[in-house]
Amino acid sequence: MEFGLSEEQEQIRDEVRRFAENEIVPNAEKYDTEEKFPHEIVDKAAEMGLVGSSIPIEYGGAGYSTLESAIIAEELFSHDPGIALSIMACSFGTEAIREFGTEDQKERFLEPVATGEKISGAAISEPDTGSDVSSVSTRAEKDGDEWVINGNKMWITNGTVGDFFVVFCKTDPDADGRYDGFSQIIVESDRDGVSSDKITGKLGIRASDTAELIFDNVRVPEENLVGDRDAAFLQQMHFFDATRTGVAAQGLGIAKGALEAALDYAEDREQFGQSISEFQAIQHKLSEMATETEAARNLTYKAAWNVDQGNDITKLASMAKEYASRVAVEVSNEAVQIHGGAGYVNDFPVERFYRDSKITQIYEGTTEIQKNVIARELLDD
Amino acid sequence: MKILVTVKEVATVEDEFEIEGTEIAEQYLGADLNEWDDYAIEEAVQLQEDGIADEVVTVTIGPEDCEQTVRQALAKGADRAVRVWDDALEDVDLLDVNAKTEILSAVVEAEDPDLVLSGVQAGDDSFGATGVSVAENLGFQWGAVVNHLEHDFEDGLASVRRELEGGVEELTDIELPAVLTIQTGINEPRYASLRGIRQAQQKPLDVQTLADIGVDESDIETELELTDMYEPESESDATFWEGSPDETASELGDLLRDKGVAQ
Repeated sequence: MEFGLSEEQEQIRDEVRRFAENEIVPNAEKYDTEEKFPHEIVDKAAEMGLVGSSIPIEYGGAGYSTLESAIIAEELFSHDPGIALSIMACSFGTEAIREFGTEDQKERFLEPVATGEKISGAAISEPDTGSDVSSVSTRAEKDGDEWVINGNKMWITNGTVGDFFVVFCKTDPDADGRYDGFSQIIVESDRDGVSSDKITGKLGIRASDTAELIFDNVRVPEENLVGDRDAAFLQQMHFFDATRTGVAAQGLGIAKGALEAALDYAEDREQFGQSISEFQAIQHKLSEMATETEAARNLTYKAAWNVDQGNDITKLASMAKEYASRVAVEVSNEAVQIHGGAGYVNDFPVERFYRDSKITQIYEGTTEIQKNVIARELLDD
Repeated sequence: MKILVTVKEVATVEDEFEIEGTEIAEQYLGADLNEWDDYAIEEAVQLQEDGIADEVVTVTIGPEDCEQTVRQALAKGADRAVRVWDDALEDVDLLDVNAKTEILSAVVEAEDPDLVLSGVQAGDDSFGATGVSVAENLGFQWGAVVNHLEHDFEDGLASVRRELEGGVEELTDIELPAVLTIQTGINEPRYASLRGIRQAQQKPLDVQTLADIGVDESDIETELELTDMYEPESESDATFWEGSPDETASELGDLLRDKGVAQ
């Protein structure tokens, strides 16, 4: 049994940390306050290869696996979740192209994302469709050698900054099974009939772009279909283990960042003539935060390692996602508490960590859905 | 053109630390690539990207632990690395300039580069002498504290700008082969790309002993002994003001008046 990281993985962590400390931290408050997508930082991240780290080497990426991606996410999110998500989400949707796309699609869509020329997105949720993906109503109809797409997509990361989206559409409304009849189709954002509406006022991850996408008789060529027609549900499920592990790594990163901020503050802040870290009440908080963070790390890394071994880990991935996101919320909550009044304003990063943490319990399958999955797997065994 | 870059893993110290005897206590120490060497590597890699250098080789003196740091240079674009280490070096407290000169000179002779780039100094022991000492030992030309290098090398000359004392700079041409000690700010060092980190794992890193490079143990004996380690007392305080230039200027004015500097 080997718990250590390789030298290469340590190097990745160190270099990502260097990048985050120099480029992200000094700008985090600004982008959060302005709710502005950090193009300048994303461009620098692209130069370093951070945006396409999991895209294969032959298409310009670094070809890194789930574990390395988890290490990158942990490190970036521990510095600022909003900018971290902006960087890591630049390749959203490309996993479907990587796994099921044609050679032509890989060349056209993976390479420009790996080099930072283009930003991608995945469009699944709709105004009436969240956890219940089988109720997606965005319709794609075949007309000659084109697909005609109509419908609205909601909460779409990169909605106003993305160059193309992998859109989850209903292609066979008469399909028998509730998971049948869906397809994934690439829609470029400059096609006629595509419009977007930025969503502002989010609780957290405010640097990351979120929007509603509207498709009004959008025509795309038939070769934009990703993988098999009517098989999108199965195709998408293929990535659940990896994407849930990815969000677990985000939660882990937030917990780590909040813990480090709380440790620094507790040692600096003096009350009653001594550093507040001398008080047992604070010490016990810090102990629990550190222990929970470490447990979240072990669960996340174990899930990531298993994904990379090709193992089917539905239950473990849901456990990691549910637990690490809960730890993110709890640890950032305690970090604000340790800061007292100072933690309630944005002079310190914990205020942001606290607001940013909540999303990890919501997206990529809510906490409740993860618990359903875990219970189903337990009871079916 | 072939370039050899000397690189060193230096000790880094946390803001708050404690001294135990002649050492800084282990828990306050970290390790990183020497800052000046990072600029030297960047300059070499840029020369390679400009089609001037054909090969960039790094050389370091250090134990196996420092390989991760050495690979940073490979990840940024150096082609291969040489690491010199020996049991005889394990017990040396503080490797002095003479010993480093002997070791690095032997590697330079074996590699036969046109240009050797070295950091001006190391961030930990700060001798600031090794690069020039190697040049002197080998009979190479040298330029110290270089903060600009022209990328043309016409007639086998390196045109450099170097810092002298008192804010004075000198423009000069240096005949190759030469050693240049590189000052921070000469360029903007890149981050190692993830692809670079990946590819660096496959790049050659040769480990050589003193015998391999033909240096006798007696050549590295040192007269230098570390006798004390202490934090110097601060003799004066610095005052920082935050705010707009208007506000800070008037605060500075008040202070100067209070101190009797300005009327």
